[in-house]
Amino acid sequence: MMRLADRLAPALLMLMTLVVFVLLYGPLMVPIVSSFFTVSRGAVDWSQPTLSAYVALMANESVLNALWTTLIVGAGAVICSVALGTGIALYYTSPHAKGRAFLQFIIFLPFLMPPIITGLALLIFFRQVEFERSLVTIIIGHTVFVLALVYRTILTRLQSLSESLVEASYDLGASRWQTFRLVLLPNLSSAMVGAAVLAFALSFDETMITLLVTGTQSTLPVRLWAMMRLGFTPDINALVALVLLFTTILCLVAVRFLMPKSAIEGSDED
Amino acid sequence: MNEAGVLLKLRSVSKSYGATAILHNVDLDVRDGEFITILGPSGSGKTTILRLIGGFTKPSGGEILLDGRDIAAMPINQRPFNTVFQDYALFPHLTVEGNVGYGLAVRGTPRAETAKRVADALELVQLGPLGKRYPAQLSGGQRQRVALARAIICRPRLILLDEPLAALDVELRRHMQTFLKSIQTEIRTTFLFVTHDQEEAIAMADRICVMNAGRIQQIGSPHEVYYRPSCEFVAKFFGENNLISGTLGPANGLTRAIETRAGRVLCSVEGQPDMAAAPVGSRAFAVCRPEAVAIGDEAAGENRFVVSIDQVAFAGASTMATASSVDDPTLSLKARIPSRPDGSTLSPGDAVTFVVPANACRLVPA
Repeated sequence: MMRLADRLAPALLMLMTLVVFVLLYGPLMVPIVSSFFTVSRGAVDWSQPTLSAYVALMANESVLNALWTTLIVGAGAVICSVALGTGIALYYTSPHAKGRAFLQFIIFLPFLMPPIITGLALLIFFRQVEFERSLVTIIIGHTVFVLALVYRTILTRLQSLSESLVEASYDLGASRWQTFRLVLLPNLSSAMVGAAVLAFALSFDETMITLLVTGTQSTLPVRLWAMMRLGFTPDINALVALVLLFTTILCLVAVRFLMPKSAIEGSDED
Repeated sequence: MNEAGVLLKLRSVSKSYGATAILHNVDLDVRDGEFITILGPSGSGKTTILRLIGGFTKPSGGEILLDGRDIAAMPINQRPFNTVFQDYALFPHLTVEGNVGYGLAVRGTPRAETAKRVADALELVQLGPLGKRYPAQLSGGQRQRVALARAIICRPRLILLDEPLAALDVELRRHMQTFLKSIQTEIRTTFLFVTHDQEEAIAMADRICVMNAGRIQQIGSPHEVYYRPSCEFVAKFFGENNLISGTLGPANGLTRAIETRAGRVLCSVEGQPDMAAAPVGSRAFAVCRPEAVAIGDEAAGENRFVVSIDQVAFAGASTMATASSVDDPTLSLKARIPSRPDGSTLSPGDAVTFVVPANACRLVPA
């Protein structure tokens, strides 16, 4: 009796995992597969694979423009958030820092609040100061949103560095700037790249804040949202497939840079 | 004390964090070219002294004088000192050469000169072939040498070493002690070495500064702090010692007697004006090392204690005999006697006489 249960349990677990996989992740595969076939009148023609969806995507200017806007916003948000995140993390760890707890609280607030509240607050602010809504306001909104994550990632790395590294640099005659450039930056760079990848991924699909603070431009998620009312054309399948591929690559890059060094290269402590 | 030979002076330097005082009015002269060791238990303030000299913290009071000028406000990167950190603090992203050459690179030294001096420094610490490796690829002893090479390459006037051997195993530590000492002799730079290890201090230092609870207890050669302690703390700090409590009798030239329950003990007060001048009747300890104790009636010496042996411990070259005084059973005395190849030794219960010459006995205030 026991032996049967012993053998049955792993099999059941495996079956369950399989079902979960198919039900939860299967739908993700549908657009990828269908992007290689033609769709007519709601039915997929499985008889011959084709790249026509990809060709159509290349001709869909509104989607391509939205994608381009998304990339610009992502790049802008990444640059701003990494620069600010690094600066604030350095300030936080400096011995003269004041109001550390307050600083942390403010940085994490937009990340923890519902995005619609953050978006609304920004919208009201931009209206009050009569700041015209444009790409710049989207970048500001995204930076506010992703800063917490970037800051935290860089701060964690900074705190794992031995304080004596900075002391050793000064001790050997380096200035503050040399110490930052020659000691801190090289040791933070991988955390900065990892944080940048995560920030970009967050910015890429941010919809709520973007909707509220955008001017005339629309980013990809906003454009797709607008398209929902009209129904999707087959080239969107191709878009989804490409975005999935791109995201997978980003994830792999982020893991490579954010994992502790020892986990990748093997540590050599004695 | 030659004034010209003093590199650095600490004058009533104190340090406190909030209400907690770490250092109390420390006066210390670091002489040019010496190997001075700051020795003390943890929390004694020894590392604080190093960090104050290095500029990593600022004193709460007092002066740190270099060439007669107070450097308390001088930034770390302008002080002509370099430090070997306890955790070595090697830059993990730079090779051994990059680490050693860092101090020259930040000063804009020409590449060719940097390369030459890096090669020389690595040669000096016997790491010639390892220049291209990263710190993570080195053993503890090798990292230690890289840290040393990095500190000496800028030709500092003083090298500060913050318990650099603490992380090494015993064998390697012994080796590094000899090595450090030989490097110091070779480059003739002043070393200020912080440690909590008495043996290490005795083995390496020209002078030892013994610290406890934020105060300097005694400064002197290893021989002085070992055989001529100036206070109870130092007397008890270096290995086994005999301390016999009593009250001072009148001084008589270079000797002074102390009345103890085990009888009168005659001590030398040579070079100890404080103890020679202390009022009659004040409490004090007579101190004598176990190796100064001879056994047997025929041994020469002014001070004789009739004792009964409690314990005999064989320790290789020597044997430690612990005994209690017959006149004062609460007084335990130790004698370190040479071991004999034939195995003949004392036995517990033996009644013998411990004999100590007056010139091997010192007085410290109780």
